[in-house]
Amino acid sequence: MKDIPKFALTLLIVTIIASGSLAWVNKITKPKIFAIQSRDLNNGLLNVLPAAKNGVIVPVKSPSDPDNILYYEGFADKDKTKLIGYAYLVPASGYSSIIRTLVGIDTVGNIISIQILSQQETPGLGTKCQEIRSGESKPWFQHQFAGKMATNLAVDKDGGDIVSLTGATITSRAITNAIADSSKSILGLINK
Amino acid sequence: MKVTQELFKGIYSSNPVFRLMLGLCPTLAVTSSVNNAIGMGGAATFVLISSNFVVSLIRKFVPSKIRIPVYITVIATFVTIVDLIMAGFFPDLHKSLGIFIPLIVVNCIILGRAEAFASKNNVFFSLIDGLGMGIGFTLALITISTFREILGNGTWLGMPVFGSSFKPALLMILNPGAFFTIGFIIAFLNWLDRKTSVSS
Repeated sequence: MKDIPKFALTLLIVTIIASGSLAWVNKITKPKIFAIQSRDLNNGLLNVLPAAKNGVIVPVKSPSDPDNILYYEGFADKDKTKLIGYAYLVPASGYSSIIRTLVGIDTVGNIISIQILSQQETPGLGTKCQEIRSGESKPWFQHQFAGKMATNLAVDKDGGDIVSLTGATITSRAITNAIADSSKSILGLINK
Repeated sequence: MKVTQELFKGIYSSNPVFRLMLGLCPTLAVTSSVNNAIGMGGAATFVLISSNFVVSLIRKFVPSKIRIPVYITVIATFVTIVDLIMAGFFPDLHKSLGIFIPLIVVNCIILGRAEAFASKNNVFFSLIDGLGMGIGFTLALITISTFREILGNGTWLGMPVFGSSFKPALLMILNPGAFFTIGFIIAFLNWLDRKTSVSS
């Protein structure tokens, strides 16, 4: 019993040092990580809306909450006259992580391209959603979404035509269904 | 205590996966491809060396009754620091290794070596032990994943091994394939041990 204050004190010191060093590292790395994330997002937006390369991509914010970006509008010119499509971020609850996918659609809702920005699925199974097969330049799982109607998607096991990842049906289904659901609500907002 | 002895015990005679049966959970998870095995091995080796260093450094100040929570705190802190620094300064490395980092916290090799070695030995030998165990873990992962990737996917490190007529045995890259492979390798090593001990 008489040791308990000593134990508590030791644990207190260890956890204070641990949280102190974590706070310090976090303070240094946070702006860097934020910069990398926004760079990845900008690169991703250009990948899913390639026709906006010489134009602009502008965020459309929620009228009630200016911090909340609903979707992006892509224009083929700098004067915002030639609207070529929309892009939006789709979060999907995968097998072991939130999968963040960027989706680019044309003005009527056909997918131009999708890009998975981040995921932490099971290595070797769910992570194959980003696999690039040898001899190919694009990840095959993401590439098969191109040209399909964004609101009407399903994996092969649910009767659709998205070929699911072997051993990772949950990941495949999560991405596919999340894109279809988000696309319905985003297109509802756009056509309002 | 010799340096080479401490280094090589982790690679063969006390290999964490095949001999100590430690870290089997991440082993099952990541050995579906050689690429993942190298990534996980590298990241785990780094954390193993670092946590052995810190645990050995503080071993005289930590009362033995509360050593486990202290070690867990040290390891979890270290893994988080590695994760943040990698995400901030080496984003490409983080993209390929990022998925393994949370797995390292629960890798019992790290805690196992902190408890069995670093808490009882000086800083130098703890570093050597961490390095040896890390290399042993990495080699074990590469061995298992070589069998699984070739048989289950027809590739090695992403390169096709067989002609296009080869139909991969999918079971091998799923979880049962890991149990089969580990079982066969351990059986082989035990057979090898028995054979050498009989002849000598």
